Amino acid sequence: MRRVEHVMGFPVSLRIDDPYVPDGVADALFGWLREVDERFSPFRAGSEVSRLDRGELSADEVSPDLAEVLGLCEEYRVATRGAFDVRLPGRGLDPCAVVKGWSVQRAARLLRDAGLGRFCLNAGGDVVTAGGPWRVGVRHPELADRLCTVLEVTDGAVATSARYERGDHIVDGRTGLPATGLLSMTVVAPTLTEADAVATAAFAMGEEGVEWAAARAGCEVYAVDARRRVLRTPGLPVAATPQDAGDGSAAGRSGSSPRAAGRNAVTNPV
Amino acid sequence: MKRAIPVLVLSVAGLVPVWRYEPSGGTSSSTEAAAPAAAPDSSSASSGGSGKAVAGSTVHTDKGDVQVEVTFEGDRIASVRMLRQPDHPQTAAAVPTLIAETLQAQSADVDTVSGATITSDGYRESLQAALDAKGA
Repeated sequence: MRRVEHVMGFPVSLRIDDPYVPDGVADALFGWLREVDERFSPFRAGSEVSRLDRGELSADEVSPDLAEVLGLCEEYRVATRGAFDVRLPGRGLDPCAVVKGWSVQRAARLLRDAGLGRFCLNAGGDVVTAGGPWRVGVRHPELADRLCTVLEVTDGAVATSARYERGDHIVDGRTGLPATGLLSMTVVAPTLTEADAVATAAFAMGEEGVEWAAARAGCEVYAVDARRRVLRTPGLPVAATPQDAGDGSAAGRSGSSPRAAGRNAVTNPV
Repeated sequence: MKRAIPVLVLSVAGLVPVWRYEPSGGTSSSTEAAAPAAAPDSSSASSGGSGKAVAGSTVHTDKGDVQVEVTFEGDRIASVRMLRQPDHPQTAAAVPTLIAETLQAQSADVDTVSGATITSDGYRESLQAALDAKGA
């Protein structure tokens, strides 16, 4: 079954390939995401996040879910030495970057708890998969109708951060300036909570974020820097046989083959 | 003069536990702690050129075994080299290897597309919208 709904300001595409799909499971999933939007959106005056930001909620009135989200935000702020910060000076509390990955990962858990084992959930470009292999294309940072690589993911998550859709919305918390060091940053991780937060945090860090993300346990990285150079980790699950219908030559694409690996420069970039 | 070097090394090695010793009120003495570090026959020493290299004893950590070799020039530490270090993901990941490639533009048959968060308006023209329409 397939279903697409617009929640939290972006399209969410659900595809379930299990032979039997219990009644109401998709309703429960989209219901959860709408609940998240009500509770955690900084753009809704009545949300928990807005009320906390205005000082209307005390520390012991914060829900366990919001406490978990804020805990994750703090974890990534510390890990990036402040580049990733949901409390930027002059701006309201905005935990969106963590809320998205966290809530969609929990939505995937709803599917698993319902006994489903073969699905692909895409929330505004961030993907959680189960029971693959699923072929996950990574959008080319400059050509909206092209891909720059194709990944093969069985059980895991893929998240991409970039400026091409919403402009300079990711700010380096250390400088207060928009992050411009990278064109796009894609992270493959066991959960979307980690993949989305790491992709956003690394994008905020700029070029040094590539190495930072690559050093995170369980993370594989595909980054395009401002000079249009691709930097990726050797363990990135690049799909083995690209079905070429475009203008990209086969060379240098099947990164997992020894032939291609031998031709690619191995570097420790800046 | 040649004999002065091992004496200096032993003096330096012997001093380390004294510096690190924290009075705890217990009965353990710094002399006990000094024993492994100060015993030259438990570590291999080789003299080459101007410096003298002394291999320390192996330290067991929860990440694995660590052993360093310190080269002295006179009473000065000239260099420290890792003889043994943990083969642990955390160590391996400390300096991640990255592969540099040329940016490709391709079209391929995929199940889904990862990209920067698209707005609901932008979705209409997106690859994901085409995939959703195709499969519906």
